[in-house]
Amino acid sequence: MRRFCSILLVVSSLWPALAPGATRPHYGGSLRVAAKETPASLDPASLAVSGPIGLSRLVFETLVTLDDRGQTQPGLATSWQAEPGNQRWRFQLRSGVSFHDGTILTGNAVSASLRAANPNWKILPAGDAVVIETDSADQGVPAGLALDRNGIVHRVGAKISGTGPFSVAHWDPAKHLTLRANDQYWGGRPFLDSIEVDFGKDYREQLALLDLGKVDVIQITPENIHRAQAEGRTIIISEPSKLMALVFPQEAKSEDETRARAALGMSIDTVAINNVVLQGGGTATGALLPNWLTGYAFTFPSGGGADDARHERMQIRHPPAWTLGYDSSDPISRVIAERILLNARDVGITLQLSTSGPTDLRLVRIALASEEPQVALMELAKDLNLPAPEFSNSSASLYAAEGSLLQTHRVIPLVHLRSAVALHPIVRDWVILPNGACSVENVWLSPEKP
Amino acid sequence: MLPRNPTNHQHSTTGIYNSRNPGMHLPSRARLACCVITLFAFPLMARAADWQPLIAQLSGKISAATGPGVIALDITNRSTISAADVEAIRRELTSSLANSGVRVWQPEQAAGIVKITLSESLQNYVWVAEVQLGVNEHPVVIVSMPRPESATNAQNAPPLALRTTTLLSQADPILDVVIIEGSPRRMLVLGVSAITPYEFRDSRWIAGSPLAITHERPLPRDIRGRLVLRKDHLFDAYLPGLVCHSTNAAPLGVNCAHSDDPWPLQTEEPHVSAFYAPARNFFTGALVPGIGQQKSAPPFYSAASVPREKYALWIFVGVDGQLRLLDGINQQSLPKIHWGSDITSIHAPCRAGSQVLATSSENGSTDIIQAFEFPDREPVAVSQKLELNGSVTALWTAENGEAATLVFHDADKGDYEAVLLNFACGQ
Repeated sequence: MRRFCSILLVVSSLWPALAPGATRPHYGGSLRVAAKETPASLDPASLAVSGPIGLSRLVFETLVTLDDRGQTQPGLATSWQAEPGNQRWRFQLRSGVSFHDGTILTGNAVSASLRAANPNWKILPAGDAVVIETDSADQGVPAGLALDRNGIVHRVGAKISGTGPFSVAHWDPAKHLTLRANDQYWGGRPFLDSIEVDFGKDYREQLALLDLGKVDVIQITPENIHRAQAEGRTIIISEPSKLMALVFPQEAKSEDETRARAALGMSIDTVAINNVVLQGGGTATGALLPNWLTGYAFTFPSGGGADDARHERMQIRHPPAWTLGYDSSDPISRVIAERILLNARDVGITLQLSTSGPTDLRLVRIALASEEPQVALMELAKDLNLPAPEFSNSSASLYAAEGSLLQTHRVIPLVHLRSAVALHPIVRDWVILPNGACSVENVWLSPEKP
Repeated sequence: MLPRNPTNHQHSTTGIYNSRNPGMHLPSRARLACCVITLFAFPLMARAADWQPLIAQLSGKISAATGPGVIALDITNRSTISAADVEAIRRELTSSLANSGVRVWQPEQAAGIVKITLSESLQNYVWVAEVQLGVNEHPVVIVSMPRPESATNAQNAPPLALRTTTLLSQADPILDVVIIEGSPRRMLVLGVSAITPYEFRDSRWIAGSPLAITHERPLPRDIRGRLVLRKDHLFDAYLPGLVCHSTNAAPLGVNCAHSDDPWPLQTEEPHVSAFYAPARNFFTGALVPGIGQQKSAPPFYSAASVPREKYALWIFVGVDGQLRLLDGINQQSLPKIHWGSDITSIHAPCRAGSQVLATSSENGSTDIIQAFEFPDREPVAVSQKLELNGSVTALWTAENGEAATLVFHDADKGDYEAVLLNFACGQ
């Protein structure tokens, strides 16, 4: 792979006033964020906690982190080592780290926290280290520890405390959160003094707040990314990562039903859903994991094969009639569900939309839990209640494992959606990770007027 | 700066992780010479990645799937592999398949087609082959190999007056570097947690034992530091709220202690120092002993001095982004000049007076360095722009005053690159 050279001398005019930039980060200021989510808890054990801007990572740190290539890096653990067989792991803890409530980070505190999130692991403190034993050989333990739900928490009664760059100053569940900079943070005090997050704001409200200068960061839904770009807003966009899919809660009960599920998958015009409904806010897919993460996603066919679907449908003796559920609070989900219904009808499959009660299949969005592909597939399988995939450490093995999950016909991938945020121009160094999570700890606010 | 051979970056299978060692990209003798005698900013070399292991794997899997015979190859590139490399891969793969008894021919005369996609993920090159021999079964074979963390491509650069010499490249932050001339040449590298001595032997910088920097309080974000050579002991290292003095006795060591001592802004006469905010990334503005009658400036990120006949003109880049001139009596703002946070001054041997090196950014992601002179109170550019592939994290005047130590964070590699920056006089 060849890229451009690191230093390039540029012939240009000799002009004294250079363009602005190259500015060192400024300390101070409060970042104001508006978000649609309404998290009821800040506990990392709660799946909703990650929220819109990676809130969990700001308060609760993990033993291991993943870099932008999905490689494990030290977090609260400075090093780790597996005993032969990869069933027993020892994680050396960083010294001099305290929770926000003043408690020192110890092996005991880490063990107690991890046990709550991983009941199947045997976790033991070992002085300034922690030992984790798994039921079977597991090379993915370090990457698994980088998941948000493995954020280290110190619990005293109902109060929870983390070690991260920000501490919780005020928390009004589902409504408002104030985070304050941790002056004693081991990685250096954050540039921001505080972060204020208003939850439960729909897209229009967020946009109005941004335009009025009342917030600095809002979420942009995938279908609005293109428009926001055209409006000249400062947008940061992730890789296509959040999976939109149809999920069957039960296994197919007959050969006919298996064929009908396959025919339904073939019938859906995922390209049109992405290009028309979502305005290109994602990528049509037939895979569970996005191509940027695996390199092979394009090998799985991604619907839009009406002729193949009809051929498959012709072989079904007793075609089922299904109810399709979707999130009624999301207007885009409704439009997509209606399109799926029409595509299915075109090939002779009967669907009925439903917004309440149990349904035969459901339109869902699932965030990519990790930038490490094996951990991501494991978590996806867990979310979808599919059997845990088995693989070794190779792309071919991962491909086979993903293929096996798709062969269950329990899930029909549709689109990998992008995540995006719009920023006020004074917000600097906001990083959105490929999986859509945001890295905020290095954000700073420019004192310059845009 | 050299691209790494992909074969050197296989996945670790030992199940062990330890913090990365500061790996160095040491300039070869030829490269150093190149830096000295040419006007190119970097003597970059690039070579095609070594695809042989992956070609051999893919060839083996394809021939196992097809058996001996004649096939057609259809190769699609969905990766960052260059077109030239794709052609090379096609040739090598064809040759490798032939060695396994699989001949590549035109589709109309082949028994089947093998559709190969050269793809990639975050971590790996992923090559996928779909073997289409019959009507029903289209087996897919996949081979992969870790991608190098980065690679660079040599480009010709036009002759320029600013010249760079690579000193060091490493994953960990570099706060300052000083070269100690002598035989052998030595170099001290100030990092966040250690000062590492190097010796230039056998055309390479050889790292010695790092001298640990101990501190109790967390150091601030965007950490900065300064190394200053001393006469009565080897060096002092200044970090936020911390000063480390080297020991006089062998072996070399350092003693670090919390201290708010001011940092030297200028090591040559007249000495001027400034207090650094211990939990921030800027100077408070208090000056020791001051500039003429002026004992302070507004809080600033960096400063540069331009000696005049009877006084020195000082230029400060304020935390508020304002450029200010202090001459010992008056303070003047230059609101129309928008420089970055880092400036410093050096003397070109071939010119009178001092030149100020200033950072800036035209696209917000990569920085530019340009040299200026102050014939009066307005800067006049005296060099062309030097564009860096990343953002400047440190810019200090080197010990002899004729060069500057520049550190930037490479946007592609993610490494910190330390270079020596000076003028190629007369060119």
